[in-house]
Amino acid sequence: MTAINRILSERSVDTRAVLKILAILIGLMALASIVSQGIFLQPRNLVNLVYQNAILIIISLAQLLVIIVAGIDLSVGAVLAITSVLIVLFQDYGLAVSFLVAFGAALLIGLTNGFLVTYVRLPAFVVTLATMQIGYSIAKVLSGGGAVYTGLGGAGIAPGLVDFYKGSFLGVPFPLILCLIFLLVVGQYLRTSFGHFAYSVGGNQRAAYLSGIPVRLVKMVIYVLAALLCSIGGILFVARVGMGDPQAGTWVPLDSIAAVSIGGASLSGGIGTVAGTVIGVIILSVLNNIMNLLGVPPTLQPAIKGLVILVAVLLNSTRASK
Amino acid sequence: MRQRAIGQQVVSRGVGSSSQFIGWVSRNSAMVALVITFISGSIFIPTFLTRLNLSAILYQYSIIGFLALGQFLVILTAGIDLSQGSMLALTSIVTASLMQNYGVPVAVAGGLAASTLLGLVNGLLVSRTKIPAFVVTLGMLGIARGLALLVSDSKPISIGIEAFNDFGRSNIWGVPVSALLWLLAGLLLTYFLTQRRLGRHIYAVGGSEESARLSGVDVRNIKLIVYGLSGLLTAIGGVIWTARLGSGSPIGGNNYEMESIAAVIVGGGSLFGGVGSISGTVVGTLLFGIINSILNLVGISPYWQGTIKGVLILLAVALSQVRRATGSRQG
Amino acid sequence: MENQEPVLKLRNICKSFSGVQVLNNVDIDLYQGEVHCLVGENGAGKSTLIKIMSGAYQPDRGEILYHGNALRSLTPRWARANGINTIYQEIDLIPSLSAAENISLGNEPLKRSGGIDWASVQDRASRILQDMGTEIDTQVPVGTLKVAYQQMVAIAKALSLNSKVLILDEPTAVFTSSEVELLFSIIQRLKSQGIAILYISHHLDEIFKIGDRVTVLRDGNLIRTAMIAEFDKNSLIKAMVGREIDFSLRNGHKTIRDEMLRVEGLVRSGSAEEISFSLHGGEIVGIAGLVGAGRTEMARMLVGADRPDKGQIFLRGNPVKINSPTQALRLGLGMLPESRKEEGLVLVRSMGENIAYSEVEKSASFGLVPWKRIKSSVQELITTLDIRPTNPHTQVYFMSGGNQQKVVLAKLLAAKCDVLILDEPTRGVDVGARLEIYKLMQRLKEDGKAILMISSDLPEILTQADRVLIMARGRIAGELSAREASEEKVLSIALQLGETTS
Repeated sequence: MTAINRILSERSVDTRAVLKILAILIGLMALASIVSQGIFLQPRNLVNLVYQNAILIIISLAQLLVIIVAGIDLSVGAVLAITSVLIVLFQDYGLAVSFLVAFGAALLIGLTNGFLVTYVRLPAFVVTLATMQIGYSIAKVLSGGGAVYTGLGGAGIAPGLVDFYKGSFLGVPFPLILCLIFLLVVGQYLRTSFGHFAYSVGGNQRAAYLSGIPVRLVKMVIYVLAALLCSIGGILFVARVGMGDPQAGTWVPLDSIAAVSIGGASLSGGIGTVAGTVIGVIILSVLNNIMNLLGVPPTLQPAIKGLVILVAVLLNSTRASK
Repeated sequence: MRQRAIGQQVVSRGVGSSSQFIGWVSRNSAMVALVITFISGSIFIPTFLTRLNLSAILYQYSIIGFLALGQFLVILTAGIDLSQGSMLALTSIVTASLMQNYGVPVAVAGGLAASTLLGLVNGLLVSRTKIPAFVVTLGMLGIARGLALLVSDSKPISIGIEAFNDFGRSNIWGVPVSALLWLLAGLLLTYFLTQRRLGRHIYAVGGSEESARLSGVDVRNIKLIVYGLSGLLTAIGGVIWTARLGSGSPIGGNNYEMESIAAVIVGGGSLFGGVGSISGTVVGTLLFGIINSILNLVGISPYWQGTIKGVLILLAVALSQVRRATGSRQG
Repeated sequence: MENQEPVLKLRNICKSFSGVQVLNNVDIDLYQGEVHCLVGENGAGKSTLIKIMSGAYQPDRGEILYHGNALRSLTPRWARANGINTIYQEIDLIPSLSAAENISLGNEPLKRSGGIDWASVQDRASRILQDMGTEIDTQVPVGTLKVAYQQMVAIAKALSLNSKVLILDEPTAVFTSSEVELLFSIIQRLKSQGIAILYISHHLDEIFKIGDRVTVLRDGNLIRTAMIAEFDKNSLIKAMVGREIDFSLRNGHKTIRDEMLRVEGLVRSGSAEEISFSLHGGEIVGIAGLVGAGRTEMARMLVGADRPDKGQIFLRGNPVKINSPTQALRLGLGMLPESRKEEGLVLVRSMGENIAYSEVEKSASFGLVPWKRIKSSVQELITTLDIRPTNPHTQVYFMSGGNQQKVVLAKLLAAKCDVLILDEPTRGVDVGARLEIYKLMQRLKEDGKAILMISSDLPEILTQADRVLIMARGRIAGELSAREASEEKVLSIALQLGETTS
């Protein structure tokens, strides 16, 4: 056995998959820097990459959690939208209160999703489709239909929030720091008992149940956490664009599912990593970058994304799966 | 009162006619809801039961109606088609761009062909590979949208042929032509699904794929066909939509597939396949249309529609869960 | 009947799975108009044989002759289309379609316009059912009919395809006695129409009532084929069992301790009639019985996966209510499920993770998992149980059956279960791993654990168990000590025929 094989076989199932995608990403980045004659790897470009993807990364983490337990969450965009609206509307009461309100709303949506999927045992696709509709609807009602820029009492968005988005610490932009924090948080969560159990629940719910794992509780917590993560996305959104938008994030559910799939997770559950998901987001982004640099019309990009998803899933289905 | 057949399990536990009534209501819940909302609207809202209003509902919802018919066929086989909205846009672009140089017949044929072809590609991938339908049509959603943007250079293409545009907005005795076409399609599909071998086989595939295969049903090609039909029906809706707009739009149709899925589910279809009817799907579509209209006329913000739609979907799927648990599929 | 050629003839059929020989040079033939019964214990090879007859499996060696012609390859589609039909226990119908439609599925009569001729569909269904002598509502979805009647519709469907050979796999498993009578009258009619019927059943009284000839299989070998009249119940049972038991596998130590588990009056509608027994630390109690006797269902109640309607469970003398497997685990009860792939293991995850699940659940507090401790206990178990490959990151999917089974056992041991319920612990496990599992069970017994072992393997029960409980039709039909027990006694109690003299 070659040295590489031996190292690889000693690592867990997940690590091997991640290394594979990482290799693809590095290849793509190399391609990008060649094509751009070095511009790609410039710090300014890389920083831009982070800014563009911070929100999607956090939301994809939410989607990852749900997909690990063999579910799916179409309401992620709606949570983003409704929390962004609530944050702006409650600016008069200060940032802290506005965040709390946003978290509360997300909590409610997460509990609803979790309850309907876990206790009533409705299919996750349909449940989150419905809560997505409801979420967007309430967001529109609250905001009066269009975007909101000021709070209920007329207060503008706290400048601190906007500054936060643009600011940095020791040269590292705050959004990136925030992303890293949540990557660590979610990664650690997956190493706690409940996170550990999530994989088994998604991989084989009956076996998990008979092993004594509290299946329903594990799933409930996942759906709630996912919604809370999306509310963080909502905060970032407001910081970035300076408004609350009840129609934001319609692209987010499908994009996050794409990123998670490319990152090696299986839609039938039980498999998936934080690292893989992040790499999935970045791969999509780098692909975009390459296409722009090559002068490929932006119109083709959704098509390319579609092809990439198909290929990624096809490759993943050749692994041992259910 | 029909005699309980020899060997038939008692489905509901209650005694007497009340449980039979509940059983009937749960099986026909969409229709019941439709009738109730229609009657409520007629009674409480003066402007509801007018020719103007009713034809407006039909006008608006016949396009989603076409998509819902196609979605129903796919969902019958326990599949799903997420690419309908993008295919709608693609058809509209193809039709509009061919119109100028080749005239109406060629343009329409081209538009129909474009989405039908993509639908067949969906069907090929779903039936011949292990990729789940969700992912296949998700990919196609992007591909179709991309093609639409590419061909049109991201700009709408206007149509100069007035006859065509008028067709999209025309009425016969106050009933929009598009609604009549929708009705016709519904009748044809009902005939197909109830009287033709292929149609019944679609139900068989959804009911139990393995048993169907053992009985000699061509499961693979049936899956291919339903996705192709979904493409075709989406395309028909697309042509009408284009005529109405008077131009081809590469960016429209967003999330329309979610609407069609909602209509199918509310109409009694189940994502697990094998259950539901064309009439149910039509009822589901009309139900959304009527509720929408009521909300508008009453002056309730249209923003509340989403909530009502969401709640309806949840009720519908919960009911179908109850049906599964108590009766039609025995363990 | 004796002068004709058999309709279907199988010669020298051999079949093995993963190195285990399941059928060894088996011959069987079927004549027109006969009811040929196939008997043997669980695992004798009956279901493999009929799957070969129906084309679902291909034999490794041997010949199949249909109407005298050797068949090159037999597929289920071909079989169905050419008159060989199998009625399995899992009903092959579309539940949402009506009986009439199911009967004609794939074979629909058409009108000139190309549409389905519903009148003919209805006609055909009524005619066939009438010929069978039964009346069933052909319009309602078949899924709403009782299982017994669904079977009859399945038979009707087979008949509509002009069956020459009809294979019935344990058809009466869930029938009431009047439904059995109905089935028999149908079978009589089919006989008179010249159809060859292969009837597999454990219900010996049925076999003596309806059968013409009988073939006995044991451990994949053909023991004997003869006219029914040449057997009586005792000789039939003897033919089904009657092996040399290797008693050297048994450990004679008496290690029995205090009562650990007691069950009183457990009832659950549909599966358990009234179950009472007790289990002590340091003993292995074997639960024998035929498929459908309710053993797995009882096990599920003991670990909280199902709730009993009535009855009490006592753990170390204290009454407990076990509401979920999570609770069972806390109380020290663990189960190795009958189907490890479906219920015992998360195949896509690694061995280490699978072993750790129950232990983590038991030992984690507020989400913090003592990973170091768990990793070392996992490692220890891998070594103790000699699981291969030894790398804890190996995906369980790729492991052999025997090793997979050991992983499930390791999970129970990691969680420090005192009461272990093992449902078919050596099913699909190779001989080497089997012996290791036996040794492990003996060690656990010596450690004072209480073991309930459900098994369809009679030699295994006789050599490993200290006591044998035999279940039939949802209750405990008999109890034998290790010394009293013999294969014949166990089987005859399981078949509910009363004790035979050995």
